[in-house]
Amino acid sequence: MKKRIGKFQNMDSGALCTSDMKQLKYKLFYAFLWAIMLFWFTIVILPCLWLAVSGFKTAAEINASQNVTFFPKKFDLKKLVHAWNTLHYQKFYVNTFFLAIGCVISDLFVSGLAGYVLSRLRPKGYKVILGMVFCLMILPTTGTTVPLYITFKNGIIPGVSMLNTYWPMWLMAGASMFNIILFKTNFDSVSNSLVEAAKLDGASNMQIFVKIMVPLSIPVIMTVSLFTFNGQFGNFFWPNLVITDPEKYTLGVQVYKIQNTVNANLTDDIKMMGIIFAVLPQLVIFALFQKHIIGGMNLGGVKG
Amino acid sequence: MLKKDITQDKALNSKKAKGNAVTRFISRDLSAWILLIPMLICVFYFTLRPQILSVYWSFHKMVMYQPQEFVGFKNYITVLSRPDFLQTVKNTLTYVIYSMLIGFPLPFILALVMNELVHFRKLTRVLVYFPGIMPAMAVSLLWVFIYNPSAGGLMNMILGKFGIEPYQWLQDSRFTILWIIVSMTWNGCGGTALYYFAAMQGINRELYEAALIDGAGYWKRVKIVTLPYMYGMFILFGVKQIIGVFNVMEQVLQMTGGGPNNASVTLGLLNYRYAFENGGKNAQYALALGVMTFIFLSVFAILYFFLDKKIQENQL
Repeated sequence: MKKRIGKFQNMDSGALCTSDMKQLKYKLFYAFLWAIMLFWFTIVILPCLWLAVSGFKTAAEINASQNVTFFPKKFDLKKLVHAWNTLHYQKFYVNTFFLAIGCVISDLFVSGLAGYVLSRLRPKGYKVILGMVFCLMILPTTGTTVPLYITFKNGIIPGVSMLNTYWPMWLMAGASMFNIILFKTNFDSVSNSLVEAAKLDGASNMQIFVKIMVPLSIPVIMTVSLFTFNGQFGNFFWPNLVITDPEKYTLGVQVYKIQNTVNANLTDDIKMMGIIFAVLPQLVIFALFQKHIIGGMNLGGVKG
Repeated sequence: MLKKDITQDKALNSKKAKGNAVTRFISRDLSAWILLIPMLICVFYFTLRPQILSVYWSFHKMVMYQPQEFVGFKNYITVLSRPDFLQTVKNTLTYVIYSMLIGFPLPFILALVMNELVHFRKLTRVLVYFPGIMPAMAVSLLWVFIYNPSAGGLMNMILGKFGIEPYQWLQDSRFTILWIIVSMTWNGCGGTALYYFAAMQGINRELYEAALIDGAGYWKRVKIVTLPYMYGMFILFGVKQIIGVFNVMEQVLQMTGGGPNNASVTLGLLNYRYAFENGGKNAQYALALGVMTFIFLSVFAILYFFLDKKIQENQL
């Protein structure tokens, strides 16, 4: 059936078929679709490009009322060093990394185990838990803010406050309904014969989880880790409420603080640099794991 | 042969198990429940318990985050009778409407276009998703600068190219909400577009071919093949978006702080203000407001369940 028609030899991606491309009408239509996409690329790239160059402007240039230019009057790489020294981001990077790693571990351990139990072990009454997980995933969590804050303030163990620690975020990362479902769906597809064989060898539930389930689920583990890790780099709400010690601020909080605290050193150009430094980790992660992140979105399998 | 062994072994096991329900419970169910304990603790402390407490405490007076005496519906009445409540509800509905008009169709259009393009597919996906990798707080600050009311802001630079005077953007209280929604859409729509795109790629191509043989043009094919397949996802993402926009708070806090003149305060931000401004003096109002929002949004959640079920039945 497939004929090679110029560059449209493999048009079988969407609703347009290879044979349509014989008609001029559809060739023009294809060009029109590309025009829309190019327009969107401009909208995506322009603000990013503008951010990248505007950090090098002076504060006066940013707020100028006339003679404005897209590119700064002069590029001075020393500006980067100056901004870095003004912003003191080193400690925020370390803090955020610490926070994010903890969340990933908690998420994999708690949600992973729960997914495994719900998928494979299915003890009596597991359906109740499964139903609860589905309900909690869709139900809004509005209104829980104050009780949660009080829980953190007083601590789960009475008298041990969780304020100014990362425990609230770490523990909350474990209660991710979406990831539990994700793990469950993934473990469902692991071949049963392997599990049965391991059981015959006398492996315990935990051993089966560690030795069979985990190695066979590396893609989904990668995806969940990346999304959790990335998410924590931008997490603002709870870190902002829980952490009041500036030494323990994370990047998500600091991006808010640079805009909303009075500090004469933080001129607009430094703030712009602050945005760049704040998104840098995510840019690096995206560049390195782009395949996993974009591929992982399909794994989510949110079906209609 | 191995398979036979396994089935035999299974039969043996189940015979044994029937013989002694207690042993079976301990060996199989109990050990499984033990593995569930971490998740149950997390869910109990961070989802269920706060939800129940918020309803219970919303009928109490709070001082310094300590529940005091029972006051009945007094907190609810106070929240409803404050003048900022009506303004906030109006604002929140405006957010929802703008977000439905802009943020809802855009990902679908992008996904539809991506679905047809056969050149530079990888690059297209990466670029469409790109704004989504940046966290909301950073994007909001970036857009504060883009909306800079001086001529040096990106938006005013673009206006300047057409010879238009600098505009106030976020300071124009009539349209503040619209500009906030635009920045949120820039941030979030790529991710949704990729979800839609992935779903569209799962459509059986033979359906398009069959429609083509019947003489259906492109739009007809989209209408009879793509759209019916996507309805469920539209509802899922639509409901998720409405719930998300109702709770929107971070972006507003960063971009305008609720101003100018409370023109952009959302229910989420009002809740935050009640809960944490003035040292938690108004925390009881945050509880009452939270419960009301919860009930209202639960209607959407139930609606989603109902519609989703109906659509699946129709499709099969």
